Amino acid sequence: MTPTALAMVEPLSQLTLGHFLLTSAALFVIGLVGFLTRRNMILMFLCTELMFQGAAIALIAFGRFHLDVSGQVFVIFVLTVAAAEAALALGLIVLLYRRKETLSAEAWSELKD
Amino acid sequence: MSPAILYAVCVLGALGLYLLVRRPRAAGTGTRLAAVAGILLGLGAFGWLVIGAAESIAPGQVGARPGVFYIMFSLVAVASAVRMITHTKPVYAALYFVLVVLASAGLFLLLEAEFLAFALIIVYAGAILITYLFVLMLAQQAPDPDNPTGQAEYDLFPREPAAGAVVGFILLALLSRMIFQGAGQLEGPDAYTAQVQAWNELTRMPERLKELIAEGGDEEITLGWGEEQPILTVAADGSATVHYRLASGEPKTLALAEEAMPENVQSVGLGLILKFPVSLELAGVILLMAMFGAVILARRQIELTEDEKRQAAGLRRLGHHDEPAPPRGGGG
Repeated sequence: MTPTALAMVEPLSQLTLGHFLLTSAALFVIGLVGFLTRRNMILMFLCTELMFQGAAIALIAFGRFHLDVSGQVFVIFVLTVAAAEAALALGLIVLLYRRKETLSAEAWSELKD
Repeated sequence: MSPAILYAVCVLGALGLYLLVRRPRAAGTGTRLAAVAGILLGLGAFGWLVIGAAESIAPGQVGARPGVFYIMFSLVAVASAVRMITHTKPVYAALYFVLVVLASAGLFLLLEAEFLAFALIIVYAGAILITYLFVLMLAQQAPDPDNPTGQAEYDLFPREPAAGAVVGFILLALLSRMIFQGAGQLEGPDAYTAQVQAWNELTRMPERLKELIAEGGDEEITLGWGEEQPILTVAADGSATVHYRLASGEPKTLALAEEAMPENVQSVGLGLILKFPVSLELAGVILLMAMFGAVILARRQIELTEDEKRQAAGLRRLGHHDEPAPPRGGGG
């Protein structure tokens, strides 16, 4: 058994998987905290994109660990949904900005009543 | 790592994040100190989590230290994510998000997802972020005497930073506990199975196999020797052999070179088409609907009177042929 031939596809160790998952968890949590604390509507949506990033890293890390391309295919769909969401959310925000001339999320807090 | 230490580390991280996010209305000398303390606490907590992973996920695993590139990219990603949620200028926050995207594209490269790494840069940094920047700049308020910097109050002061940090701590504690417990129990494929899986991608690309055989000079062939013989076999050293028959029925084999291994783009494309064809179509429908929705939302809505509608449809106006049209209201 020559080690060079086997080194072509090297399986990911559990530890490396854990490292990548930790990074993805950190990004997701930071995105969540940002979503909760920012008051600018556009930046709140940008923070959801940050959470998408965290999820994408986790998906790709698991796909690499199990040597399955499905993880990467899912990330393609995540990208699609993120693009669609950005288009729609930004359209809505432009509409809201025209009404009240502010991007503050609290300007629309009467919607919750 | 025992759960108590893990939770304590998560508390430290959340405290650091709180110190960074919080921006007191009366800025004093303590603000800068708090920011430095926050950076140190956050860095320390993240570093501790990464190092602690080594002991609790896989005790005794040798040679699996985090690589230099992993440390670099994930530090850049996490640091610029924090800067993104703390920066008071929205345009700069969006630019820091570009940095997060670039760093996670680097992480994708480490995970051998080359296609997605570049797709991420093109789609996120190139398209989505530009849209965000456009809207941010459209919605920028002009500076006036009351507010010379032009920065809005809602960008300067965060909402409930303490509550946000507590929620973040709970989620981080749960997630890292799951990762520390679960990642060590997962069973990945061993080196040989990995090799077999990688080569078997090729059996789903018969045309590519035929091309490879044609390069060796054999045209007009049938793949496989029959029912009992698989098309592709992998030896114990990881090298693969294709079995095929000439038109005359003579069985032959071809040892595959290392370059014949399917590339990332080929595997992703094949997985997309073979495993998720319906989802692919649905993604197209979602994008089309989002485009329609955005166009309809962004258009200025104009109320038309009954007469104007009739005119637009090429019909005669109601009554009053010679009088000027009545003033219409409710426009805009």
